[in-house]
Amino acid sequence: MNTDQLIVALTAELAPVRRLRPPAFRTFLWLLVALPWIALVVTVVGPRDDLPDLLGDRSWMFLQMATFATAMSAAMAAFCAGVPGRPRWEHFVPAVPFALWLSVPVVDLLDSLKSGDVAQLAFAPDWICLPGVILVGFGPGAAMVLALRRGAPVHPGLAAFLGGLAAAALGSFGLQLFHPQDASLMVLVWQIGSVMLLTLMSAGVGHRLLTWKAVIGEASGFRRSASPHVKQS
Amino acid sequence: MRSAQAGDGAAYARLLAAATPIIRGVVRRHWSEALEPEDLVQDILLALHQVRHTYDPDRPFLPWLLVLARNRLIDIQRREFRRRRIESTIEAMPETFRAEESNWDATVNGVDGKELRAAIARLPDGQRTAVELLKLGELSLKEAGEKSGMSTSALKTSMHRALKTLTKRLAGPST
Repeated sequence: MNTDQLIVALTAELAPVRRLRPPAFRTFLWLLVALPWIALVVTVVGPRDDLPDLLGDRSWMFLQMATFATAMSAAMAAFCAGVPGRPRWEHFVPAVPFALWLSVPVVDLLDSLKSGDVAQLAFAPDWICLPGVILVGFGPGAAMVLALRRGAPVHPGLAAFLGGLAAAALGSFGLQLFHPQDASLMVLVWQIGSVMLLTLMSAGVGHRLLTWKAVIGEASGFRRSASPHVKQS
Repeated sequence: MRSAQAGDGAAYARLLAAATPIIRGVVRRHWSEALEPEDLVQDILLALHQVRHTYDPDRPFLPWLLVLARNRLIDIQRREFRRRRIESTIEAMPETFRAEESNWDATVNGVDGKELRAAIARLPDGQRTAVELLKLGELSLKEAGEKSGMSTSALKTSMHRALKTLTKRLAGPST
């Protein structure tokens, strides 16, 4: 089939397509799925006892808002990464709320080092964080994968990295609602560390989740079969 | 593209015809000689077709097309290089005996030669021609094209389909 014939084949009986919604709207839809999941997990596990008090704690509220903003901006950036030709700066927007999120435990930690507040420097293994973030982030993560697969896989690694960050950040946001952990070092290592680990793992599987093969199917595979005789080594 | 998204085939044909030279330019600039350039152009057109819903009419078309073409091209060529690292071409298929007839009657890799010959004979004309010229005649794509009057792309496609048909027929209950 030559190129002209291909164009004729592609244009014959062309069906209308449902245009991809703007990234902001898709982020809103994603939150509509993700937030009920978080509410469900928090309700089933049970919210932490000191939650009403924490709502008046400016530092905790700032941490939560920065976490949520990281999730939202990362989701929006992930959706932008699935649209060819959008400006590159959009991919870096989540760095701002993430820096703010990171600044809360880091600044607290530095203050504690100056003042010698040992409570903030307390460190102990807390293996509930990683599964906790995975549990809360599972719903948002699954919704994110489905949403990203609607886009074009032009930046699969980046889109998966940003999508993973969005889901994991939302997982951390939810975790803070039922898992008491306020020591700065613990938050930094176990919560933000878990988020970073999951984000990097997402980026690692991005090329498998978001593939052109899934988009085009086997239509592009004719070249492989054109090789005369091949064997796997 | 806005019209194409709404299902206007004529507008889409004009768009693809106008986009093809641009895509050829991208392929020329980033071509690594791994694959036929026109195959790459067609692959990018297929990609464009499949993700046409991602185009936002409020944004310019050209950046959308160029990023799509470049990324698809890099992806195809990267996969091809990876494939070549783990696969090697065998120019000569193993033979049990020198005489061709002997191979037809032998059972190689669990496939009966007679059965294979019968399955090839039942293939549609284009596919049978591709098998006879490329596999049995061991001609190159160019030589097979000259002999049969078929284009290189048509030969590749026919060969691919023939292999699929034969695999299916020989794997299933004998007919």
